[in-house]
Amino acid sequence: MSTATTPTLDKEPAADAQGPAPDPDRRSAEPAQDGLAARLAANPKWLVIGFAVLVVLVSAVVTGDGSWPGGWTADIRTPLEDLDNWLVDNRDSHWLFLYFLLHISNAAEGGVDAIVGLFDSLGWVGVTVIGTLIAWAAGGADRSRRAVRTGATALAVFAVCGILDMWAPTMETLALMVVAVILAGLLGLLLGLASGLSDRFEKLLRPVFDTMQVMPAFAYLLPLLLIFGVGVPSALIATVIYAAPPMARLTSLGLRGADPVALEAARSLGASPWQRLYTAKLPLARKQMMLGLNQTIMMCLSMVVLASLIGGGGLGDEIYQALGKLDIGTALTAGVAVVLVAVLLDRTTSAAGERLDASQTATEPAGMAKVRAAVWGGIVVLLAVFAAVGSALWESEWPEGWTVSWGQPINDAVNWFTDHLGSGIPLVGGTVTWAEGFTEFILNPLRSGLLATPWWALMLLVAVVGWFVGTWRASLTGCVGLALIGAMGLWDRSMDTLSQVLGALVLTVIVGLIVGIVSARVERAERVLRPVLDTMQTMPQFVYLIPVIALVGLSRTAGIIAAVIYAAPAVIRITTQALRGVDPAAMEASKSLGATGKQQLFQVQLPLARKALLVGVNQGVVLVLSMVVIAGLIGGGALGYDVVQGLSKGNLAQGLPSGIAIVCLGIMLDRISQPAVRSRKGS
Amino acid sequence: MNSKRIRNTAIAGVGVLGALALTAGCGAADTQSSGTDKVVLAEPSWVGASANAAVVSKLMADEMDVKVDVQQMDEPVAFDALDSGKADAILEDWHGVPKKQKKYVEDKKTVVSGGDLGVVGHIGWFVPKYYADKHPDVTDYKNLNKYYKDFRTSESGDLGHFMGAAPSYSQHDKGLIKNFGLKFKHVPSGTEAAQLKEMQRLYKAKKPFLAYWWEPQWMNNDIEMVEVKLPKYTPGCEIPEEKAKCGYETNQLEKFLNKDFSENGGAAAEFLKNFKWSTEDQNEVAQMIAGDGMKPEKAAEKWIKENKSTWEKWIPEDA
Amino acid sequence: MSESAEHTPVISVRNLWKVFGPKAASVPENSALKGLSAAEVRESTGCTAAVRDVSFDVNKGEVFVVMGLSGSGKSTLVRCLTRLIEPTAGTLEFDGDDVRGMDTESLRTLRRHRASMVFQNFGLLPHRTVLDNVAYGLEIQGVGKAERRERAGEMVDKVGLEGLGHRRPAQLSGGQQQRVGLARALAVDPEVLLFDEPFSALDPLIRRDMQEEVVRLHNEEGRTMVFITHDLSEALRLGDRIALMRDGEIVQLGTPEEIVANPADDYVRDFVRDVPREQVISVRRAMRPADAGEAEDGVALTPGTLVSDAIEAVARSGKPARVMKDGELLGVIDHERLLSVVARLGEDDATGAAADEGKVAAV
Repeated sequence: MSTATTPTLDKEPAADAQGPAPDPDRRSAEPAQDGLAARLAANPKWLVIGFAVLVVLVSAVVTGDGSWPGGWTADIRTPLEDLDNWLVDNRDSHWLFLYFLLHISNAAEGGVDAIVGLFDSLGWVGVTVIGTLIAWAAGGADRSRRAVRTGATALAVFAVCGILDMWAPTMETLALMVVAVILAGLLGLLLGLASGLSDRFEKLLRPVFDTMQVMPAFAYLLPLLLIFGVGVPSALIATVIYAAPPMARLTSLGLRGADPVALEAARSLGASPWQRLYTAKLPLARKQMMLGLNQTIMMCLSMVVLASLIGGGGLGDEIYQALGKLDIGTALTAGVAVVLVAVLLDRTTSAAGERLDASQTATEPAGMAKVRAAVWGGIVVLLAVFAAVGSALWESEWPEGWTVSWGQPINDAVNWFTDHLGSGIPLVGGTVTWAEGFTEFILNPLRSGLLATPWWALMLLVAVVGWFVGTWRASLTGCVGLALIGAMGLWDRSMDTLSQVLGALVLTVIVGLIVGIVSARVERAERVLRPVLDTMQTMPQFVYLIPVIALVGLSRTAGIIAAVIYAAPAVIRITTQALRGVDPAAMEASKSLGATGKQQLFQVQLPLARKALLVGVNQGVVLVLSMVVIAGLIGGGALGYDVVQGLSKGNLAQGLPSGIAIVCLGIMLDRISQPAVRSRKGS
Repeated sequence: MNSKRIRNTAIAGVGVLGALALTAGCGAADTQSSGTDKVVLAEPSWVGASANAAVVSKLMADEMDVKVDVQQMDEPVAFDALDSGKADAILEDWHGVPKKQKKYVEDKKTVVSGGDLGVVGHIGWFVPKYYADKHPDVTDYKNLNKYYKDFRTSESGDLGHFMGAAPSYSQHDKGLIKNFGLKFKHVPSGTEAAQLKEMQRLYKAKKPFLAYWWEPQWMNNDIEMVEVKLPKYTPGCEIPEEKAKCGYETNQLEKFLNKDFSENGGAAAEFLKNFKWSTEDQNEVAQMIAGDGMKPEKAAEKWIKENKSTWEKWIPEDA
Repeated sequence: MSESAEHTPVISVRNLWKVFGPKAASVPENSALKGLSAAEVRESTGCTAAVRDVSFDVNKGEVFVVMGLSGSGKSTLVRCLTRLIEPTAGTLEFDGDDVRGMDTESLRTLRRHRASMVFQNFGLLPHRTVLDNVAYGLEIQGVGKAERRERAGEMVDKVGLEGLGHRRPAQLSGGQQQRVGLARALAVDPEVLLFDEPFSALDPLIRRDMQEEVVRLHNEEGRTMVFITHDLSEALRLGDRIALMRDGEIVQLGTPEEIVANPADDYVRDFVRDVPREQVISVRRAMRPADAGEAEDGVALTPGTLVSDAIEAVARSGKPARVMKDGELLGVIDHERLLSVVARLGEDDATGAAADEGKVAAV
């Protein structure tokens, strides 16, 4: 679009863009006479967008400074500082804290402590045995491949975590996970029930969940930190808030999507609402709920690691501390432990889900249910026995002699790698040179462009794009988001962040599309990629921050690369799936007409998969945005840095508005990249 | 139809109430830890702090049978934790959060000083020695504008690049750059780790850079930095930042204790108040941890074995 | 067949309306709207009238078929009977009890014990075994586990699923799944079985099996059935009486024979055009008065004998056959008469005959 319009800009005198033009359709019709415009004129929507881009470019050149008018900002620092002070002053005396929040905080801490204590008294043998047994039982508690494989995975994960000398932090993380998953699961379940059964709650909760989805977790770490102080409770509550929505969403989806005929059958047999819920709705939604639980667990894990920033402890802490010493080896080892824990939890829950699935299509031996119950009973008994006598029999932690230290060799390897790639490769330069080029020729112009664009022109563009892609509601939401940013006095910093987000997004989409297309067309590429993508998605982002700096220097590009690493896997996956999911009949038809592979790709697969690809782009937006704060840790600056600073200084007045600004940007980008179908679905 | 909706809403309402009851109900279980057999130390995110914490935990566990729980938190958060009693002590405070310090120590009186750590901290602006050797007069801030072109990067554009500190560190560099009219752009580092890595990279490539830097700092054993002279610090000269025109205070790093713990913590509190070692001692341990990749416990063990005379004085007599 | 004198309606429907849309209730009340066609109603109010002013009785022990094309309102109608869909207006009695006036509890009792339904898409619970699916209705009633298992087991056998009780629905074929649905409905021993196009999702051959199954069950138990279908041959095969629906209204109600022999309007005539009439129309309708001398001669047939059977008898004997009832001669049927049935001649006569019997649109 913009490349096509740029030449027009040079020809057109600025006269056309003098005013913001109340009715864009009519005004633009006159100058639109040459080739491009004629093509655009065929579709009024394109015409409007073209006009908006024109206004943006021309006004940017003419005014050269796009700042939000200073008079239109509201002072939010003072009230926030007051609130901050009030919180600090009243934290130990106000009834709200004494009789409510303190209890929550204590319960959270107590719960986690209790589990840590339990793991301690179980000892490493007890934890490994019981963990393996639970995985095996979840897989079906029999000699089937699934059950054995799940159990073996668990055994291997525990052993490797021990061998990597990560036993203690792994147990801490697991303890926090156990409590977080239980709470998030229950909360999600209840909210999901509420919105699955009541339209009113659904209406109430859906925007909340939508917002949660684009809200970077860091945005609410800060208020929690102020209320609960640093430590386990804040980490736990942040985790629960972050991880509950998928469970709630999928529960609601499952309840609403339950086979209507089965439900009607239940009704026709005279089932009461409760009977219908217990005997039909819930069992029918079971699969979705299992999927929700799985997602909730994965989100819990990623948050538990992040929460080390506010005293969560465990593996995240290990990583964070290792980074302080530039000890990539240890950080990576801890990162591997996180990935392993993710593998353990994912395999176990998905095995349980598969078993539920399989039980609907296979006949089981009659006694199997009883055997399974006995196995679970046995696990509980064993748990009690080990808890009672475990500490007497063996040590609570993995024996030190059985560990291998990977730290130093990994450090050396990473250093060698980064040293040689960083610069000085003949002819092509090195990653540092490329990064500098990227900053200079893409990021800097983009940022100055955004800063030069008048706020009203940008709003116009957002409104038009929102209306074009989605609905008028999307464009309204986008504009309100931008206005809020302006009103908070964060326009310039937000434009800086926006330029980075756009840069990262473009890279993510390019990488995602190319790799996705390759892996959709080459079976082997997909097989090789799958574990890599899994690792990229579960590996805590902290781990690769330092190597990235070694490769490209402390700059915005480093933050962008981190964001691309984090966001690309999802886009790759969606692209692959979308291309694979194209109607086979259409593919066959084109093949029968003698289309080449390339023709098939560009004329059939990509156009047909367009909608799914848009969802991929939207997903990319959300994920890139959630990395803004992380990027702030390694030179991203702007809003991300402000949030980090607010967080580490416990400064509400600095952190919160920036957090809100990120959310606003997020909602704005999400809405204008979200195809209208999605916003219309439901009801 | 209508009654159905009401019923569903009621069911849903019960669900949400249940959720609330759940969170509130969990609150019933109360846990309080008593002070003296377990001590919670706040450990800021730099290596020197790990060295303090490692030696203290090892000694307290071996010699006094006190369990130490080390929690990672930076100064600003640590002060809140000291105030609320979530942490008992911080062993190395750089006076980076004067506001909170004043509020808790002077106004609320919930946090008390635990005396000096013995280590002297110094913050300033530094350039690498290889650059200072070539341009000796860069070591005065007044001459920085002469050389700003050498410091340009893609991040700073036409200006020189000033590598700022991690967000939680005490700093007023932005104000200084503005008030001295320096042609530099303040580019903050998101974390200390990021800054260290970047400096390591630039140092290896022998590139010029100007950075917020400090000692004690374990990396000073690997790289040689030269300080750029800033106007002398006088108390309060950096507040507010917009008017700051001076360098940084040379700090006697201080320990702070939660007041309750200080009064009722018995031998443990006594030990922490006695704990005092030199910059060299700390650097020795820090270098073992960060430079040689030793585990903090191992490094502490080694230091303890070799420096009995130093730490003997810290153990209170009644322990 | 039970078209005998026993007229005790199990279900009695009068002037039933179901209107979807905003201000649905106003349509049946408004006499101006009442008279409009479905399309006109939608035009003027935005409401869809799915069932319009429908009245009929379902007699004890009969198979009452509601037939119509998709969108004719027949599925809505059957759901209105147990208020799975709430009727907009009209009266609805079940054994004399006013269904529309029932509170939740008695409505639930009605659904639990008195009427159960078989669905087009089965509506089985995939996570339960066949046995537990069949026992589901009993479970809802609160019957103890052992008892309901036993009863469910009997039902599973009864519908021909012996030995499949521990399978899951997904492991069964479509026909078998519908047998489970049937067993589930039977398990609660309802007074009335409601079938909502139960066999339209099945293959033709299996459909035929299932229809025979229903006929068999009906012969064995004599249970009252309301059967919804869009398949005319199914309706003719199963129905004691058929209500033909179009645009929410009943256009004709009568025995299969009446409908085929005597369509009420062009729509119905069009509908039944391809029906092999000799298999529906009985000799009673086709016979002529006996001439002198014919009274003593020829094969004796009952008045209910189908024309197709009469053709065989007449062809075999080579002479006209006598239609006898209780030893009394009603008439004679010969080649000509039989041929005219097959060749659709003399439909006007048939109309006249039907009018004599006075059974069209009995209510």
